[in-house]
Order: sequence, then C-alpha cells, then structure tokens
Amino acid sequence: MFRNLRVSVLRPDEVNLAALARPFNGIGLQFRQGLRRWWQLRAAPSDIHVMTQRNVYILPTRAGLMFALTVLTLLLASINYQLNLGYLLTFLLAGSGVVSMHWTHNTLRGLRLHLKPISAVFAGGQALLEVVLTAPASDRQPRYGIGLAAHSANDDRLSWVDVPAGGQVTTQLSSLVAARGVQPLPRLTIQTRFPLGLFRAWTIWRPATSVLAYPRPEIDPPELPGASGGSGWVQSRTAADGESDGIRTYRRGDPFKTIVWRKAAKMLDAGGELLSRETTATGVKTIWLDWQDCTPLPPESRLSRLAAWVLEADRLGLRYGLRLPTGSLGPDHGEQHRRACLVALAVWQ
Amino acid sequence: MRAIDSMTPVSNSAEDRAARRPWLSRLPRESRDTLFLLAVIAWTVLPHTGHLPYWCIALTALVLLWRCRLAITLAPLPGRWWLLGLLASAAGATFMTYQSLLGKDPGVTLAVVLMALKTLELRARRDAFVVFFLGFFLVLTHFLYSQSLLVALAMVVSVWGLLTALVLAHMPVGQPALRQAASLAARTAFWGAPIMALLFVLFPRVGPLWGVPQDGVSKTGLSNRMTMGSIAELAQDDSIAMRLRFLGPGGAPPPAQHQYFRGPVFGHFDGREWRALGAQQPSMFPLAMRPRAELAVQGPALRYEVTLEPLKLTILPLLEVSSVPPAIDGYAVAQRSDLRWETDRPVFERLRFQAEAHVRFSHGPQDPVLGLQEYVELPPGYNPRTLTWAAALRREPRYVNADSIALAQAVMNHIHSAGFAYTLAPGVYGEDDPRAAIDEFWLDRRQGFCEHFAAAFVVVMRALDIPARIVTGYQGMDADPVDGYYVVRQNAAHAWAEYWVPGKGWLRADPTSAVAPDRIQRNLVLRPEPGLVAGAWDRVSPAFLSGLRDVWDAANNRWNQWVLSYSRGAQFNLLKSLGLSSADWQDLAWLLLSSMSALALAVVGWAWWDRARVDPWQRQREVLRARLQGLGVASASHDAPRSLASRVRDQLGKRGTRLAELLELLDLQHYGPAARSRPDPALTREFKVQARVAARSAPERIALTSAP
Repeated sequence: MFRNLRVSVLRPDEVNLAALARPFNGIGLQFRQGLRRWWQLRAAPSDIHVMTQRNVYILPTRAGLMFALTVLTLLLASINYQLNLGYLLTFLLAGSGVVSMHWTHNTLRGLRLHLKPISAVFAGGQALLEVVLTAPASDRQPRYGIGLAAHSANDDRLSWVDVPAGGQVTTQLSSLVAARGVQPLPRLTIQTRFPLGLFRAWTIWRPATSVLAYPRPEIDPPELPGASGGSGWVQSRTAADGESDGIRTYRRGDPFKTIVWRKAAKMLDAGGELLSRETTATGVKTIWLDWQDCTPLPPESRLSRLAAWVLEADRLGLRYGLRLPTGSLGPDHGEQHRRACLVALAVWQ
Repeated sequence: MRAIDSMTPVSNSAEDRAARRPWLSRLPRESRDTLFLLAVIAWTVLPHTGHLPYWCIALTALVLLWRCRLAITLAPLPGRWWLLGLLASAAGATFMTYQSLLGKDPGVTLAVVLMALKTLELRARRDAFVVFFLGFFLVLTHFLYSQSLLVALAMVVSVWGLLTALVLAHMPVGQPALRQAASLAARTAFWGAPIMALLFVLFPRVGPLWGVPQDGVSKTGLSNRMTMGSIAELAQDDSIAMRLRFLGPGGAPPPAQHQYFRGPVFGHFDGREWRALGAQQPSMFPLAMRPRAELAVQGPALRYEVTLEPLKLTILPLLEVSSVPPAIDGYAVAQRSDLRWETDRPVFERLRFQAEAHVRFSHGPQDPVLGLQEYVELPPGYNPRTLTWAAALRREPRYVNADSIALAQAVMNHIHSAGFAYTLAPGVYGEDDPRAAIDEFWLDRRQGFCEHFAAAFVVVMRALDIPARIVTGYQGMDADPVDGYYVVRQNAAHAWAEYWVPGKGWLRADPTSAVAPDRIQRNLVLRPEPGLVAGAWDRVSPAFLSGLRDVWDAANNRWNQWVLSYSRGAQFNLLKSLGLSSADWQDLAWLLLSSMSALALAVVGWAWWDRARVDPWQRQREVLRARLQGLGVASASHDAPRSLASRVRDQLGKRGTRLAELLELLDLQHYGPAARSRPDPALTREFKVQARVAARSAPERIALTSAP
C-alpha cells in the first residue's frame, strides 16, 4: 500500500513525462528513459485487467482532508473541555475513516475487467466499449459505486456500476475515434469513492485491443460513378424485377430489397426462414468505385468519398467493386463485401 | 369476459402493492435522500431545544420544514441573498440574546442556525460534505451540556444517521434502500470501533490546551458563595454528585449522623452573602494569627473510593474528616486551615480516587487566637432584632454563666421548640427590608431550609460573641447501594454550622437536625411538590418506578465508572497493571504507536494473504487433482469434475468407481440445480480417504509402473 501511495503521488498517467524530466536534463537521459520504461512496464496494455495491490492507487479526496480537519477540531474541543464522550466520537470517526480507506481500496482490488469485442466505427464517431467487470467468486458482498471513464474524465462523465457479489456486470463507455485506421483504445480510468467519499481509489487500464475506424463517409457525395453515363442500370434493374426467377433462403447480408416480403409472414409463421430473391449477375449492373474517379481530391478525401459510395451502393443493393492503387476488390454485394471494402479503405496506406 | 374477470384482481393487487410501498421509497431518489438527511439533522438538533433561545428553535424548524417542502415538490432552492439575509439576522438575534457571539451558548446557537441554513444550499457535493461535518460538530456540542447515557444513545443514532447519509451519497447506482445504506454505515462504524477503543484507552489525556470560558458553573452543586435560596435550588436537582464505595470490612458506610461531606466554609458575612475567609474575602489578620487546622483524629480510619462528578470547582467534598490527601493524578490536592480539600485547578472531569476518613476528630485551636475575631463579626446595622434577641437570651439568669456549648444547646432547643418549620419553599426573605432578612426568618415567619437555619444560627452565635461559621457540602446519601456504590445526589447539598469552644476547638452544630431530625438521621431529603402528571405517575406504581430508576442508575453508574471517569489516572493504572511500574505519558504514546503499527501490519498481512487467496472451489479442485496425480491420473486445472470422473473410470476401472462418484457429486454441488455456495469439506475428506483406499488396493500396478 505504501508503495502505491508513493506511486500515486506522481500520478504518472497525467504527468507529461518529458516535462517532468526536463529539470533533470543535466542528470541525463538515462533517468528519463528509466522513468518511461518503468511506467510502460507498469501500465503495459493488456486484454484483461486484474486489479491488485500493485495497480490500484489511493489518495484522500478534498472531502477526506476536510474530514481530517473536522476530526482534529473535535479532538481539540474534547481535550479542552475534557469530554470523554467527545473523545469517543472523535475516535469513532477516525476509526471509521481508516476503515473506509481500506474499504475503498478493497472495492477495486480483485476485480477483473475485460472488453467485449468492439465493432468497427466510422472515423469521427463514438466507439462503444462494453466493459465487463467480474468480481472474484469469493466475494460475499456486492461492490458499490464503481465509476468508469474513458480518458480521465470529470465525475459527471463517469458511468457508474455496482458489481454483485461474485457476479458480473457490463457497462458501456463511448469514446470518440478521430482518425481512420486501426486506432488504439483510450486509457480507461476505473475509480471509486465508496463508502464515505474520504478516499478515491483508482486504477488505469490500457486495453490492448484496438478499434478499427473506417474513413468518415463524405457528406452528400456526388452520384455513383456508374450512374453518370445514363440511367441504364436502373432500367435493367426494373427489368430484372419482372423475372421473378430464383428464390432462395435468406442469407446474412442480403439487402432488404431482395427479401420476398409477400411470403415473409407466412414463412415465419410456419417456423421457416425468410426468402431472398436471387438476383442474377445480368439483372443488376456492376459498377466500379475507383480511386481514379476522385482525382482532384487529396487521399483522405478520396477515401471518404469512396466510403460514402460503398455505403450508397450497398444501400441500393448493387454489385460493386472497389479499385484502389494497391489492388481491387469484388465486384460483389452483401454485408461481407461491404465490410471488406470499408476495411480496405480503413487500412489503406 | 372471463379473461377480464381474472385480470381485475391482479391489477388491483398490483395497485395495492404500489400503495402499500412506503411513501418514502416512492419519492424520487434525490428527494428521499434529502428528506432522510433533514430528519437526521432534526434529530441531532432536537436535544438542544432546552438550551436554545425560542427564536432559534422556531427558525430552525421553519427552515427544515421549508426545505422538506422544496425536496418533495422538487422546487428550486432559494437564492444566495435570501440565505445571507437570514444568516445576518440570525447573527444579530444571537448577539441580542447573549450580548456576544463567542462562548458556548452563542456558539451552539450559531452552529444550529448555520446547519439549518446550509440545508437550503445543498447544491454541490461540497455542500453536502459541509452539512455532514457540521453535523458531527453539532453532535459534539451536546456533550458540553451532558454526557449522560441517554445523550450518548441519542447521539449514536445521530452519528449512524449521518454516516448513512454519507454512504448513500456514494451509492450512485439506482435507488439503494435506506436499510442497505444504514447497514453499510453500521459496518463501517463496527470495524472502526476497535480503533476507537484503542485510541480511547491509550490516547494520552492532557489538560485543557488553553483557557476555557467558564460558563455553566452555577448549574452544578456547591458554589464558592452562599446567598439565601441557593441551596434550596439544588434540592430540585436529583442528579448525582458523587458515588462512594466503602472499602472497609462489609463495605458499610458510616452511620447517618456522620455522613457529612465538607465543602466550602463561609466565615465572612456582609449581610446578604456569605464568603469564604481567606479565599473570596481577604482576611484582616496575618497568617500566623489566623486559626489553624490543628486536626487530631481518633479511632480507626475508614477507607473509601470516590467517583466525583465534575463540579467545576476546586473543592473536593470529602467525608468529615479526611486527613490524608487523596492521590489524584494530575492534580495537587491540599487541605486548607478550615479543613476543606482543594485542588490546584477546577475539576472538569470525572475523578476517581481513594480517601480515608475518621468520623471521630477534633480540630481548631485549643486556645483563643486573634484570628478568631473575624468569626464573630457581623455587618453593622443588619438584623437588629436578632441581635436584641440574642442579648436577651444572654441576660436570662440561667445563661449568665453558661459556656458556649450550653448557649449553643439553648439556641438549638429554641429552634426545636419555637415552631420552626423545615420547608423547601419558604418564600423570599428580606424583600421588604434587605437588612432584616435574618430577623424576618428568626422571629417572624420561621420557615426555612438548611441554609436559613445555619445562617441564623451563626448570626445568633456571633451575637452571643461565640466564633461561628457556616460549612456547606453534602449530608447523607441514598440508603441502598446500587451495584455496591452509595450515591450522593445534588439534593443532598446541605449547610450546617461550626462554633468555637476554648479547649475543644471547632464543634459541629446542625440546626436543621433540631427542626427536621429525619433530614439528618434518615437522609430524607425534601422533594419539591411533584407536578400533576408526575404525581399521577407516582401513584400508578411507585415500586415499579423506583425499580426502573435503580436499573437505570446501575447502567448509568457503569457508564460513569467505565467511560466517563476514564482519565489520566486510570490510564496510568492500566499501564501499571501491564507491568510498567513508573508509567508516564511517553509510555502511553509509545504503547499507542506500537499497537497502531501492529494493527496496520496485521492489515497489511491480511492483504497479502488476500492476494494469494483463490476461489474456494478452485482450491478444493487442486487438492483433488493432487490426489488423482498420486494415482496416476493426469489432469489440467480447467478440467470439469464430470470429465475428471469419466477419466478416472477409464484409467482406474473398478477401483476408481467411488472416486468417480464423488467427482460427479462435486459437479452437482458446484453446478447442479441445488448448487452449494461453498465447497463441502466433507467431500474433500472422503475423497482423500478413498484415494488412499484406491492406492492400497492395487499395489502390483504401482509396482509395475515403478519397476522400470
């Protein structure tokens, strides 16, 4: 515990290490590197975060200092007026304060945290982190008032949970993902002030998993490239509609448009599955979404436009292919393909 | 139709259930928490109503009710200017009431007002904390007035309530039940109690750090001056002055006529007020000429233990006459020339000490000394008729040559036979003529209390030229001991007289015994007339009530003996009993520090052990796996008991049947529909036994495997 106290005085997570070490430049790089290495080691990213003596920090809160001042005042009054009952009150409060310190620390210690798989987001959107808190099976009491936050947020942005005795609880956090690509998850702070608010215990977790961010789709993009030459593909689509040829069972990723809704109710009622209309390759026009079609734009904007086109094409249920300088995908359609295209755009270098 | 019919009662009962839910839990959480906090504050302030001015009680009640209304209607809180205005007017009213903002009473008044007004400003977390901490402070202020068991119990509830509110404020999820928060708060206090006890026992007690304003001195017991009516007031007060335990054989107290506890002695009379010569009133004579104690005791000493309530005086009212200074830690005790015992500073704590008394004694100078002159002085111009009466007595032929003792006897006889009455409510003397108060008592109305008799007796003796003085203190005690302790109450306060006789010294004369022998012989203290309700109570069942009072007194006595009278002396006694012969406060501090460190180490040790702690199911499975390993069955820590069982059947065949059954039972215990919450130790034991049996039943196989 004392070690933790010493460590927590530094609050290394919030201290700019370079700034911290700047006065020590004369002492040398070695110290600074040592400090950084030490902190990296201490807060190494991990998929499962188990809170132990080594990574739960605790410090008195402002209210805790106020409480200490109150207890001191009560002690002085008891001494000066020779009040034995006053001594009892003072010492009861002091004892409860000490107990609350251990309780606060124990509220976090032993908890295990892990993340549920994170679905990809578009850059500029909020990634939804589902954090699962697991109490050790040996717990006989619930753990109350645990607040989680991405980054080091203010109290009002904390999401609060109670963990039942020996059980699990899931809570959701959101975190802004600014850029496309494979983005590291933000640092999570897990803290509690329970029971008396005199101490704040916290731990910092860097999840090792990362989140995949697709490029931010361009708002109001130009029309799909294949449509610019005329409205041919729309007509052919109408023609294809007429020949109600192949019908097969619904597959995940089939656009809603292809579902045979007229038969859906009957099929579902009978315990069957949805039916999709098999669209033939000839029925739907194939378009190519090409990097070259967005020529004047800088690369990031091109990616944004391509992402918007992919979404649009998918919405219309088209067959589409994606052509990037590094290679091409498709043409194909469906959920799988859409995702493959977006991933390709996300990770493009 | 039927469906509707069957639905109706269901919905009814649901409504009923909603209606039956306590009203408090149907409120929004924030309102409920605020109401709870307000109730705790009201409970904390309530015992103060006796010592607060009326405006303060009214203001506090109004503000709290207003705040309740705001909490229920979820209305916005009043602005800051409102509060500042209220606070300023409350401070003004406090100053008007007490002519000061400092001191105990104005301080408590202001604290209560502040507390009430702060509830109107509960906006941020910081405000809530201010309310909690002010609440703890208010709890302490009660102890300035009383530290009785009743107050202590009421304040336990207050502290519990405040801690509950504090815990509630840190349970941000959902709407936790009040009972749940209360149990969590109780648990915090429960685990804090050992630390409290340790600190209470070992924290070095030191004297006041700086001067404490001496308010409230007039409330208790004896005082350093005596005016007419001051002791009669005490008779209304049946609180306890001290408790005595007699250490002689049988623990018997001295007979009733010897139960005099000597307090302040008054030798100077200015016509209205009696003062102690030398202490309050400078003596005219140098020390060498004043009468000295010259105490001579006879007979065996009576040892006794005193638990003295804080009288806030320097006087120790000890049994007449205690000759050896009692040893009280932290105080220097000395006996003055008038035999009163004094400490070097006022006593604000409960003291427990032992003393020795001799009921047979003589004191005072044998031969006349010049200083005795002061004990015959009377203020000129006061009580002329009494002086005339005394002169007439002196002139009576039978007293012409009488000595002091005979004259004193004559005056006592007069008190006994001249129609004097002993009453608590004699009315006020000296209203018409302040210079004739004693005249009025001695010759006209003849109704009075011990102080009237003693004062008149001393005036008459002085008029007869016999040195005399008033002694105040306590006389008598409760007839039956409680828990082995005899109780002396404030209403046993008494005044009697001493007169000086050449060759004999000072002799005690108790004129009250001449008019009310019961008061002295049987300790029958006068009780004020009970009020109508109290009177009805007494008629219901006096025996039951007095039994109840005895139980309560016994509890109170324990409380006083163990908690309130725990002082520096008791701490040093504790150290001595621990084997530290010359204990001082450094030993105390050392002991405190080392026991605190030991406690901290124990907690660290526990945390270390806790770190290594694993799930009990896991631990049990490891034990079983070790046994299986011994039988040659390999397993991994994640194997379920059921899969282990089938492996045991495969590898050990028939001899593993019992083990496999046990493993299947374990699977049921852990995962089955009626799963246990913790592993069954009996199963572990049985498994070990069966593992040994299995090992013995196939020696050749073991031999085979170990042969190469």
